[in-house]
Amino acid sequence: MLTGERSGGNKSNTSPAENYYLARRRTLQVVVSSLLTECGFESAEKAAVETLTEMMQSYITEVGRCAKASCEHTARSTPTLSDVVITLVEMGFNVDTLPAYSKRSQRMVITAPPVTNAPVIPKSLVTGQKRTHPAYIPSHFPEFPDPHTYIKTPTFREPVSEYQVVREKAASQRRDVERALTRFMAKTGETQSLFKDDLTAFPLIAARPSSIPYLSALLPSELELQTLEETDSSEQDDQTDTENNPNNTIHDDAGADKENAVLPPGGGVPTVKSNEENMIDNPYLRPVKKPKVRRKK
Amino acid sequence: KCMGSGFVELTIFPTVVNLNRIKLNSKQCRIYRVRVNDLEAPFIYNDPTLEVCHHESKQRNLNYFSSAYSAAVSAVDPDAGNGELSIKVPSELWKQGDEMKVLKVYIEFSLDQPKGGLHFVVPDVEGSMAERGAHVFSFGYQNSTRFWFPCVDSYSELCTWKLEFTVDASMVAVSCGDLVETVYTHDMRKKTFHYMLAIPTAAPNISLAVGPFEILVDPYMHEVTHFCLPQLLPLLKHSMSFLHEIFEFYEEILTCRYPYSCFKTVFIDEAYVQVSSYASMSIFSTNLLHSGMIIDQTPLTRRCLAQALAQQFFGCFISRMSWSDEWVLKGISGYIYGLYLKKTFGVNEYRHWIKEELDKIVDYELKTGGVLLHPTFTGGKEKEKSSECPDGKVDFIQCKACDLNFQVFNKLLSLASTASSQKYQSHMWSQMLLSTSGFLKSISNVSGKDIGPLIKQWVDQSGVVKFFGSFAFNRKRNVLELEIRQDYTSSGTQKYVGPIKVTVQELDGSFNHTLQIEENSLKHDIPCHSKSRRNKKKKIPLMNGEEVDMDLSAMDADSPLLWIRIDPDMSILRKVEFEQADFMWQYQLRYERDVVAQEEAISALEKFSTAASRLALTDILEQDQCFYKVRMQACFCLAKIANAMMSTWTGPPAMKSLFTRMFCCKSCPNIVKTNNFINFQSYFLQKTMPVAMALLRDVHNLCPKEVLNFILDLIKYNDNRKNKFSDNYYRAELIDALTNSLTPAISINNEVRTVDSLNPDVRLILEEITRFLNMEKLLPSYRNTITVSCLRAIRMLQKNGHIPSDPSLFKSYAEYGHFVDVRIAALEALVDYTRVDRSADEFQWLLEMVQNDPLHYVRHKILSMLAKNPPFTKAAESSLCNEALVDQLWKLMNSGTSHDRRLRCDAVNLYHTLFGLTRPSCLPLPELGLVLNLKEKKAVLNPTIKPEQGSGGPELPPAVVFTSSEEHVVMEPPLGGMVLPSQGLKRKAETPLASPPEPGQVLQEEPVVKGGFPTQEEEDIDMDTVHDSQAFIYHHLNMLDRPSTPGKEPPTMEQTIMSMPATPVPLFSKESTLSLKHGGEHHHHHHHHHHHEHKKKKKKHKHKHKHKHKHDSKDKDKEKERDSHTFSNSPASGRSMRSPSLSD
Repeated sequence: MLTGERSGGNKSNTSPAENYYLARRRTLQVVVSSLLTECGFESAEKAAVETLTEMMQSYITEVGRCAKASCEHTARSTPTLSDVVITLVEMGFNVDTLPAYSKRSQRMVITAPPVTNAPVIPKSLVTGQKRTHPAYIPSHFPEFPDPHTYIKTPTFREPVSEYQVVREKAASQRRDVERALTRFMAKTGETQSLFKDDLTAFPLIAARPSSIPYLSALLPSELELQTLEETDSSEQDDQTDTENNPNNTIHDDAGADKENAVLPPGGGVPTVKSNEENMIDNPYLRPVKKPKVRRKK
Repeated sequence: KCMGSGFVELTIFPTVVNLNRIKLNSKQCRIYRVRVNDLEAPFIYNDPTLEVCHHESKQRNLNYFSSAYSAAVSAVDPDAGNGELSIKVPSELWKQGDEMKVLKVYIEFSLDQPKGGLHFVVPDVEGSMAERGAHVFSFGYQNSTRFWFPCVDSYSELCTWKLEFTVDASMVAVSCGDLVETVYTHDMRKKTFHYMLAIPTAAPNISLAVGPFEILVDPYMHEVTHFCLPQLLPLLKHSMSFLHEIFEFYEEILTCRYPYSCFKTVFIDEAYVQVSSYASMSIFSTNLLHSGMIIDQTPLTRRCLAQALAQQFFGCFISRMSWSDEWVLKGISGYIYGLYLKKTFGVNEYRHWIKEELDKIVDYELKTGGVLLHPTFTGGKEKEKSSECPDGKVDFIQCKACDLNFQVFNKLLSLASTASSQKYQSHMWSQMLLSTSGFLKSISNVSGKDIGPLIKQWVDQSGVVKFFGSFAFNRKRNVLELEIRQDYTSSGTQKYVGPIKVTVQELDGSFNHTLQIEENSLKHDIPCHSKSRRNKKKKIPLMNGEEVDMDLSAMDADSPLLWIRIDPDMSILRKVEFEQADFMWQYQLRYERDVVAQEEAISALEKFSTAASRLALTDILEQDQCFYKVRMQACFCLAKIANAMMSTWTGPPAMKSLFTRMFCCKSCPNIVKTNNFINFQSYFLQKTMPVAMALLRDVHNLCPKEVLNFILDLIKYNDNRKNKFSDNYYRAELIDALTNSLTPAISINNEVRTVDSLNPDVRLILEEITRFLNMEKLLPSYRNTITVSCLRAIRMLQKNGHIPSDPSLFKSYAEYGHFVDVRIAALEALVDYTRVDRSADEFQWLLEMVQNDPLHYVRHKILSMLAKNPPFTKAAESSLCNEALVDQLWKLMNSGTSHDRRLRCDAVNLYHTLFGLTRPSCLPLPELGLVLNLKEKKAVLNPTIKPEQGSGGPELPPAVVFTSSEEHVVMEPPLGGMVLPSQGLKRKAETPLASPPEPGQVLQEEPVVKGGFPTQEEEDIDMDTVHDSQAFIYHHLNMLDRPSTPGKEPPTMEQTIMSMPATPVPLFSKESTLSLKHGGEHHHHHHHHHHHEHKKKKKKHKHKHKHKHKHDSKDKDKEKERDSHTFSNSPASGRSMRSPSLSD
């Protein structure tokens, strides 16, 4: 009985196949009761029987777990008798008494537990073919996990490559996105309306003055910058610029640093001055002089 | 909260022995003290232009105003030795003056929230001044330097300069001349920029810009430095990358080096004008900057730069002698600018530009010239409003005289450079001033040619020539009988006598003929070279030597004439209306290689709506070798022809198949290709065609459905992802196309427009516009072009009755804080709304904005748009026209605009448009008889103003007076607010002949202007103290003939503040303030004129600028203390300079 039990099965009580486990439990209770009878008890409180059942179950479970562990420790997958023996020894059980105990006279024979089908682990996702081990992996190694955990699931159809349709799609897609976006903005913010009777008909996002209007009006938007990067844009002007004018690099940094709303006060200027003196003689790049110590009074 | 303070030190060399009074120009500066050679000097401050017409009279006519204004202006005219600030030289120095020793005049002043002259831009965001991008710059219309420091504010007074600016350490001060050094102040929190300008320069050419600028040294020319506001550096780099080419071009063409040792370009926000040039620096609007993705702005920006640079040579370096010589400088700089255009943008572009300018002038003169009593003349100074036109005109004269002038320029420049290098001899300085007569002399010296007649015709006379030409071919004699008539009786025209070139294209070639236009000869016989029989095999030679095959089947079998052109080189300011058969125009369009001829042919073909014209235009459209602007024009012409041919038109709507072929996909012709603007010609064509197509109309006068859907598809399939360039202008034009397609809604008894009643087509349009406008909020386009187009479209929808007419949307876009282009578009819609709906509220709202808006440009635009699209005119009755409005406008031009001359001109202009020259009809009649009289004879000068005009002068018949003024206005644009020339003439006549000729006023000025900008101050001082003043007196020729100041005082009461030398300054100002406030101490200051002569006789000497600096440095620190001391001591001291009249 002990060895027949798969410890793993008992352990997980949360299985949906309640019946299966209840049946086992019931068998255990019968065992406990018969042992009690053997020992001479005539009756027992239910709670006591339950407690003993619980203890018995724990014990068996622990034996199973330890046996499994010791078998895996020796790189095997199935526990053998010696594993169990070692386990029992470990748990302080005198194995030598076991044969005698099993042959005791007043031993009661109980019926085997009703045969119930071991619960089938429901296949939640059946996708693809379950892979078998390649030749170089010994069969005792664990199996591959369920295919759904690693296979690709193609969900798209062949792209349409017809020019007209593509353009059509691109256009309407963009329009839809734009419309949705602007509607959203209009819904969530202040709006102006062209009609007095229906304020929601053609909602316009309200005009909001900005304190530095020229920045947004002159600087290319990020989107445009992206486009520019994608398209080939190695302009000669830029190159000559950087070659001839080393101080550009400093400004480039400043310029590239668009996230800062404004440059640090005067930050750009003094740095340039200190750096560029030797390269280009421009009065605006010269360092600022310290005041004279003594001024004419 | 914006203020600056500083001091000016002038070194004056008296040229007369008894110099005891010095007059300077100064406006809106609060002057604390004046010292002459370290002695306190009493001074008087009076600005008559602050309020033009005093003592709230009932006079409300422009004639009265203009005479009062010209009087006020000449009372402070520096060229006449006048000024707002009159300083009495302490008597201790009189003796020294006798020995003609140097006088040093030292003036301390401050500026508090200046309304003109300096503009502070302080964005309302968090952070320090530098982080906010706060900056300040000087601006003004013509000579407006007096607005920000006391000086002799005349283009003809040259001196060398040393300038010092103390600014916050995070700021950069850019000014004229070389930056000598930059020094921290003792507390290290500020920096002082020391500039030295050794080339003699007139005060109006001095400028200043301070801000947290990013600095870019030009990679090609290290002497050139560019400045822009934070974050714009990448744009600056791109926009400036070709500046060196302009430099090279000018230097080469003038064979003369750039006169200054350095050049600075500063790009600032809220600019007054797009471009303004000052000695060795130019100030530009920041909106000229663009990135490499922008196509349309690029040529515009380059043009602005080229213009600014041309003005560096002529205008800044070489200055003018008097107002009437302005045209020479404008002309020369315009001319070399034109040469640059020709070189950079090509001959086609150049000739197109010349034609455009010519047309502009002709239109302007024909329109306004006729109404001689136009505000232009009334206001006297109003001229500037049309400055565009005269510029062009003058420029054009230069083109004509280009061969001649060319060498002259060289000479002038070399003379000038010589002069400046020998700056220690002041008499040579006069070489740097250019006058009309000097210019003519140089021309004849250099070229040996006499251009006198030319000048006489175009410079001394106003008007354009209007030719009507027609011809007949005399087969027998094989002669072309050409008839050229002139219209010289209608307004704005003049009679032309002289040579004229006629080009005749015959079968055998092109021939030039020069005809002499004389008094009575109308007909000219021109012999033909070709036989009329056609030689079909032969190619036909064109003017440029090219030989082409032509299909000659269209032409008249008897005549060898293909086409005829009158004055093909545009060497006369003329409008030609020439009659020739339609097939001749078509030949001209197809085969003449001159873009001007092609454009003329296109506009002529509008009248011939035939299939042949259609074909010719379509051919041109397809011809990709043809100049793109011609093709663009052909689009619009084709649309017109198509509309005229509506019933007989066959095939798809005009241009549709063409557009499809050029820009749509081969496989699916209804879808436009993804954008690729690499070819600019086709880009412009692609932009223009839909706009022109939208003008097509079907028999119901609606835009054909097919066209509308086509445009909607263009918008739908527009795809810019693969494009290197931005498509914002293209999309904006597509919206314009939608706008063009709109036609008036069918309205059933004026019901209110609702969403439900919306026409389905219009609904589609409106959806696009809504989407575009909303997207623009999320992804703004360059210069917000799309918003601008959307606003126009919405206004058009309102106007056509598709959606309810409502100004509130535009009002919100017109608010300060939007990009200026957007504001202007919104304001334009509002102006239109005001007119259409006659809304007094909106009109009032606009006028309030004129008074309060922080942007000078916007104020100016509102007024000029109102004048262009007036809510009512003097001819029509309107409920808007009432007494309160008259008073409001009157007040605006009388005193409300004293800080900005351009604005004052705009106000006068609007007043004229609304009410005319005479008393507005809605006012009650004060002096019945008189006014009635006036109303009947509008063309007559208002008799009521005679007394003001001075009694001495000969009374010219009004017509004559105005004619002459018109001439100056147009031909010699005396821009910055001139006085009525007639006034000037009269003054001359009144001038005592006894006054000795004046050798040229002199002074070497070394103003040390120091400023602390920007400073925050809480003080709230009404800056109406600032007076507007216009320095000008009309002088026909050069200074040598200039009479001394007339002894006439303006008819206004002048109040004088005299200080007593002994009184300590702060105390004094307090006292005088008090007395002023109580209206006491009003002196009629009649002894002014005694001193005028003295002042003018100050002698010129030259002299090196040395000294000065001792004082400066020493006084500098003290100065601040003193200032603050003054402030705290006498809270009212700010008013000490205010003209008492203001408090009335």
